[in-house]
Amino acid sequence: MPKVSNWQIGRDCEYPYDGHRPARQWSIIFDLNKCIACQTCTLACKTTWTSGKGQEYMFWNNVETKPWGGYPLAWDLRILEQLGRQDWGANGEYLGKTLVEAAPENERVLHYAPVDEDWMYPNIGEDDCGGGTVDGGMHQASLPHDQWFFYLPRTCAHCTYPACLAACPRKAIYKREEDGIVLIDQSRCKGYGECVRACPYKKSMYNPHTRTSEKCIGCYPAVEQGIQPQCVVNCIGKIRVMGFINPPAKARADNPIDYLVHEKGLALPYYPQLGLEPNIYYIPPIHADRDYLRQMFGPRVEDAIEAYRKLPEDPRASGLLCLIGSTDRIMHRFDVKKGMAYGYDEAGAEIVRVPVTEDVIVRAPFDAKLGASRHNTP
Amino acid sequence: MNHVLHSPRNPSRSGALRRAALWTCASGALLAACKGDSKPAGTPPTPARTPAPPISALEVRAVSGDLSKPDPEAPYWAEVPAGQVALTAQAMVTPRSAKTMTEAIEVAAAHDGKYIAFRLSWPDRDKSEAGRLGQYSDAAAIQFAVKDVATTPVMMGAPDQPVHIFHWRAQYQRDAEQGKPTMAQLYPHMSIDMYPMEFKEAKGGTPEQQEQFSPGRAEGNPQSYEKTGVDEIIAEGISTSAVQAGHSGAAKGTWKDGWWTLVITRPLAVEGGSVLKAGAETGVAFAVWQGGEEEVGSRKSIMMSWLPTKVL
Ligand code: SF4
Ligand code: SF4
Ligand code: SF4
Repeated sequence: MPKVSNWQIGRDCEYPYDGHRPARQWSIIFDLNKCIACQTCTLACKTTWTSGKGQEYMFWNNVETKPWGGYPLAWDLRILEQLGRQDWGANGEYLGKTLVEAAPENERVLHYAPVDEDWMYPNIGEDDCGGGTVDGGMHQASLPHDQWFFYLPRTCAHCTYPACLAACPRKAIYKREEDGIVLIDQSRCKGYGECVRACPYKKSMYNPHTRTSEKCIGCYPAVEQGIQPQCVVNCIGKIRVMGFINPPAKARADNPIDYLVHEKGLALPYYPQLGLEPNIYYIPPIHADRDYLRQMFGPRVEDAIEAYRKLPEDPRASGLLCLIGSTDRIMHRFDVKKGMAYGYDEAGAEIVRVPVTEDVIVRAPFDAKLGASRHNTP
Repeated sequence: MNHVLHSPRNPSRSGALRRAALWTCASGALLAACKGDSKPAGTPPTPARTPAPPISALEVRAVSGDLSKPDPEAPYWAEVPAGQVALTAQAMVTPRSAKTMTEAIEVAAAHDGKYIAFRLSWPDRDKSEAGRLGQYSDAAAIQFAVKDVATTPVMMGAPDQPVHIFHWRAQYQRDAEQGKPTMAQLYPHMSIDMYPMEFKEAKGGTPEQQEQFSPGRAEGNPQSYEKTGVDEIIAEGISTSAVQAGHSGAAKGTWKDGWWTLVITRPLAVEGGSVLKAGAETGVAFAVWQGGEEEVGSRKSIMMSWLPTKVL
């Protein structure tokens, strides 16, 4: 089996096809410290793409509450517990097996098959501190660990080495050369569901009406026009940015994605040990349990949290975070100078500028000119 | 009769409609509950039956009767001997079944000068017709070589060595008999406020606009439309199978006491496909999928070589 280079695990890993990086790679970064689980992203995707028959349960974008929530249920636990030990070496090299390396001999990847019931509770555990009835008390108080949680928004990761693509015996799944978006060819898919079984993130879903499998399309019609995906531009918390990521050796410090992932090490891939080189990246939630975060984001999570805490001393990084959510357009470059952050399109034209620190305006409680008191309640 | 195969309508939609769909935020179709009926309880154990003798070649006898209609109970089957052929789990490509789910298939064949019919029987504990997520259909297929059977690889053919396949699924037969199941039939307890362009009081949009919300249909994928019982397929190697329009074949399967009995019938000559002639020697191959054992696609039991076949 061919070996492909996977920078996220610091080594080469097995993949059924030869390694090939597309000309550009679609990528989203999420700042998990800011997500409020408003689900606006989920509904933005749902109303745009999956309101048809057979898509009733289908949320290409979902937001789940960790550690207990999951859509489908326990997708993460079910694949992690099969994979066995997942140790990392001191130099950042992953010592365990990837899903392809751990595949039984009759399969292409180690996997599990979710059933209908698993997809039926997309919000399970969300803001769910009650114990059922009012007199049931706080079930959070009875959890077997310290009280912490965070919201995890997820789309397809348009992986560099997609498990869905690897598993499809019809070769109906392909990765686009122009942007790395992974698509299921809806004219060729026969609904075998191999991708639904194989994707560890469970981002390929079965449509029983069309009898084909469907997945997040990365909003390619928008991306082709230089516009970020629906779930990104509609994000209420302004926690997301979509752009193009380069592998570390080709990273550009003025590319917003490269800067946050490679230069600052602020954003990390999730479950990199699965070996797919997923292209959604997370700024880890700094108050969540470290062991849990290390399992999810790998050994560099401590450094990422450290870098996040130092943001107030870092005008360039904090300037970039201010740009996130401030434009619908795809930012290919950014700059921060004299207290202002700028975003540029592919041609180098400015598409957005925001102050790194907004002016604070203090207004007196009484407006003498109008002779009226100022209240913030009607 | 002239049977001609051609590729089905496969309109490649322009990006414009998709882009339009992106900016037209249709109403959210939200799921309130979708608990469905559980699988029927286990079926009684397979009763013993006398197995047909193993065969290494198949004779297709001429019978009198109309073979254009598939009929597993037709009287002419009494005149035709059945033989047993061994199958093994497909082992060339992954993903594949961990073990052989269908170890043998019983085969009989007859022709009436125009049509040729194959009667296949195999044991299968449960009748599986698929429908919902993770449910797979029982299925069987007969494969013929389009060119010289001696040089055509039995595993789905090869470039310029096409194979012609008749692929029956219990799911497709159910479509033909009862119509393609609606979402409400598949998930009886599901509730949905509305589908785009199908509001309760006012149906809107052209069929083409409505299809934009069903990607498989919008792309003209034969998989997404109601089936006639058997798919006719041309393949030139693994992962290349393409469903053909034309439907020169027909099939009828019945499941009883843990056995499927299936008749697939086809014209002897299919232009653009395989052509069988009385007096000529050819080869056929069979495949079986046990849906209840999660067999689908490359997870199947197959023959490792062509079964020499003589049309008498
Ligand atoms: S819209 Fe943004 S803040 Fe709201 S749930 Fe989605 S990612 Fe989180
Ligand atoms: S996240 Fe899953 S569905 Fe998306 S590209 Fe990766 S393996 Fe495929
Ligand atoms: S990128 Fe587009 S298709 Fe994918 S989850 Fe976001 S909105 Fe949905």
